[in-house]
Amino acid sequence: MERHLQHAQRINDLVGAVGRNGDKAAFKELFDHFAPRVKGYLMRLGASAAVAEDLAQDVMLALWRKAFQFDPAKASASTWVFTIARNLRIDAIRKERRPEFDADDPTLAPSSERSSDENLDWAKAEERLREALVMLPREQAQVIELSFLADKPHSAIAAELGLPLGTVKSRIRLAMAQLRGALGVRS
Amino acid sequence: MTVMHHPGDELLLSYALGASSEAVSLLVATHLSFCEICRNSVHLMEVAGGAMMSDVEPVVMTARSLQSVLARLDDKGPDVARTAKAFGDVPTTLRAYVGNEFSKARWVAVAPGLAHLPLLAYGGTKARLIRAKPGAAVSTHSHRGEEWTLVLTGSYHDETGFYRPGDMQSTTPEIYHRPVANDGPVCINLAVTDAPLIFKDALPSLLGKLFGF
Repeated sequence: MERHLQHAQRINDLVGAVGRNGDKAAFKELFDHFAPRVKGYLMRLGASAAVAEDLAQDVMLALWRKAFQFDPAKASASTWVFTIARNLRIDAIRKERRPEFDADDPTLAPSSERSSDENLDWAKAEERLREALVMLPREQAQVIELSFLADKPHSAIAAELGLPLGTVKSRIRLAMAQLRGALGVRS
Repeated sequence: MTVMHHPGDELLLSYALGASSEAVSLLVATHLSFCEICRNSVHLMEVAGGAMMSDVEPVVMTARSLQSVLARLDDKGPDVARTAKAFGDVPTTLRAYVGNEFSKARWVAVAPGLAHLPLLAYGGTKARLIRAKPGAAVSTHSHRGEEWTLVLTGSYHDETGFYRPGDMQSTTPEIYHRPVANDGPVCINLAVTDAPLIFKDALPSLLGKLFGF
């Protein structure tokens, strides 16, 4: 756990170094860490090796360009890279747009201020979340894994498991409640 | 003001994973601008996504991969700087479809006190804005599929409850309802359907065909 956290901290720092100084040595290390994971993730979602390779390269390029926006107080580097990979994948496979929540929206209902000791350490949060995922009852873990890693709508997951859609939905809700509990997130 | 009616975890999860249609993404993204609780939920799902992405079996990149990315680092990419948003009462998620101000949008009158503005339609899924002056009602109707209504301004009520800005009502084929705009500011809703509505009366059914309700 401790080693995991140190590693997560180091990855965050490397993204910071790219954002502040355009540090290419830091970028190379990030490439070695993230590119094979992004590629593996995209292949799990059904992309061919060639498409996954190209997209993983694009994700790394986006990381280089957007690194100045990275804020470790808001998310860990792996969460941030996940959102980049998600968005580039959608752009690549869909004609439709994906309107995205905009934190700079002037009409936004603002988030409540967190005092600094309430600020989540996202690397620690991620570790707690991993532990909570492992603890999920098998039937909940199954729908969560299929949702995240099989790129199937919930109706297809229901058909595959031979379950009513309502059962799949309620398992998702139960699993999310567990994950929220692990992170102390209000629902 | 606290939002009382939320999209639910299935919709939030589809959105967080990039699996939802454009219309549903628009709905969820706009709800998030009203609702800190659901923002936190989506973030939690993204944290889980990042953890799972980190834990899948990595697949080694091809030999020239790093070199080819390094060679592209100095290319000028798309501008990712944040720009100040223009004044307007339309949430930024909707501005590409509506413009910056509701009052300047190209509303189409459908009935006394009632206007709409189609935003997009793909396959069976549609998104549109509905504007109702206080007291205006949409005729009693049901839906062939699921309909979601997100209140943007003003408020309305129907047989099931009272809905204020940020609240999202989900209706299913079993529910017949007659939403009525409350007194106060004009009520503007974002409505997303995945199939045409079914009206009970003959005339609104014709209106439905003409205006896509």
